[in-house]
Amino acid sequence: MVSAPVTLSPAHLAPAPAAAIAPARATEAARVEISLRKVGVAYSAGKEGTKTVLANIDLEIPAGEFVVLLGETGCGKSTLLRLMLGQEFPTSGEVIVDGKPVKRIDSRTGYVPQKYSLFPDRTVLENVMYGPENARAGLLGRLTPSFWRFRRELREEAIQSLTRMGLRPQDMKKYPYQLSGGMQQRVAIAQALLMKPPVLLLDEAFSALDPSTRSSLQELLHSIWAESRPTVVFVTHNTTEALLLGTTLIVLGRHRDEEPEKSNVLVAQQLPTAQLPFAQRCNSAEFREQHEFLERVAFASSSRYRTQPPAQEGCHA
Amino acid sequence: MNTAFHPADLAGIQVRPSRLWTQSLGWILFAVGIALYAQFSIARHKENPEDRVVPSAQQLIQGIKSAALESAEEDDPVDANAPLIERFSHSMLWKDTLSSSKRFLIALVLLIPAILLGLHMAVFPYFGALCLRFVTFFDKIVALSLLPILFIVFGIEEWSKIALMVIGVAPTLILDTFNIAKGVPREQIVKAFTLKSSDIDVTYRIVLKQVLPQIINSVRLNLKPLALFLFAGEMIAATDGLAYRIALMRRHMGMDIILPYVLWVALLLFLADAILRFTNRRLHPWYQPL
Repeated sequence: MVSAPVTLSPAHLAPAPAAAIAPARATEAARVEISLRKVGVAYSAGKEGTKTVLANIDLEIPAGEFVVLLGETGCGKSTLLRLMLGQEFPTSGEVIVDGKPVKRIDSRTGYVPQKYSLFPDRTVLENVMYGPENARAGLLGRLTPSFWRFRRELREEAIQSLTRMGLRPQDMKKYPYQLSGGMQQRVAIAQALLMKPPVLLLDEAFSALDPSTRSSLQELLHSIWAESRPTVVFVTHNTTEALLLGTTLIVLGRHRDEEPEKSNVLVAQQLPTAQLPFAQRCNSAEFREQHEFLERVAFASSSRYRTQPPAQEGCHA
Repeated sequence: MNTAFHPADLAGIQVRPSRLWTQSLGWILFAVGIALYAQFSIARHKENPEDRVVPSAQQLIQGIKSAALESAEEDDPVDANAPLIERFSHSMLWKDTLSSSKRFLIALVLLIPAILLGLHMAVFPYFGALCLRFVTFFDKIVALSLLPILFIVFGIEEWSKIALMVIGVAPTLILDTFNIAKGVPREQIVKAFTLKSSDIDVTYRIVLKQVLPQIINSVRLNLKPLALFLFAGEMIAATDGLAYRIALMRRHMGMDIILPYVLWVALLLFLADAILRFTNRRLHPWYQPL
């Protein structure tokens, strides 16, 4: 599935061309799941005129890819995610997901935010079943016997899914506030995946977790992705996490208003380490080399989010 | 380790009073209030045994008996030998409580649309933009200043008093609901749409369900303003009701009736608040107030 590895190098600092990611899969005729065409986002900043957040973004993300958006705070990675989600709209260009332009938030995309990812008034099981129940029937449709049969089957499916996520049966009746942050994110992922969306968007979903929980969730997410291969777009400012999870990496830099024609995309390409089994990735020499390079590229103007490459024996991000 | 008790510790921020201390402290001010009243009353009765301004315990008991077991002056008298329940159900206190409670409950029901208005203003941006400025302005109008207008429009019967209560509390409740609903994290709404929710689902099954405990708390806080407007209306134009009776008794210096009525109103409001708090806790076990 992955083409010959290309080592990340300063050459990639040039704005990525439109098909920066796609060629690696061109021969396999991979379907393009997410497409951004000359996308720009700007907003009025009062007396300072217009502030450009994103400019000239051209990206094509093939189906089944695990794309990681990396960059320092304020570079526009979350804005890019919100464009794909339909929560924001570009001031120029077009965003297409699953073959259709994004006009509003809908069930084409699953979404796991950093926090507030679960409905606090529903139990774990109710949270996970909420989406498929909505998809099946409206308010009146819930009164029919067929809906209740469907609900029984869905319940079994939800329990299986939660068990796969590492939840115990007694956890499923709990409310979100009774769970740890890591458990909540496991449920949030199960909740999103049960809808079987073509695209799963995660916005710094593991940022607030402790290293060991984060590590186990990374492994879990990777194994789920490897099994069913949804298209995943994962926003992070953690280089190790990006290199561990991503098959494709997009590094965004801050846009400068004095260079309106220049894109925010600094690096957009497939990762060579993605070929290695997950557990071995961070032990490879390539990994450490890329880690060092990405730290320099992604966090050029700020050391706030810089991380050390992981120790040889572990992959903790 | 020195575990000796120091009186200065009582004033500290970091101390944790025991359950016994907490319970005992909670009653101290009641006891002090009663003691001060008793002393004041005794002192006044020494000067004038017929004093009616600060009634003695006997006068108060007599007042409570006549309020709770005798009918109002304007009604037919109840048989003194009738069972207590029957005497109470024909009493002045019960009649006034029923009249005031009816007005209070009708006003509470009429405030439900205010809650829904605030919710919709928060959830639907265009609707919010349409209404917010108007409601914020309306909130600044002193409701009592509208009373003459309400009397002209609704007459001096029931609806003018109910309208006063609704107009007095609704803007606050609308704005409170608006702010509470606005506080629902954006992530929740986005998430709901990715889970195939419709606008109605998001409004009622996501936002309303999440903010309902806080709205009930807001209603609890508004119980007293609601009673305040009810009393204003009843004192100005009514033929029955708790405030009507208090205003009537003021003319006769009937403190032996007024004081039990004041305590009765406080008790009713306390009970209404306790019922709402209990209901809130039972209906929303997931709610974690800050």
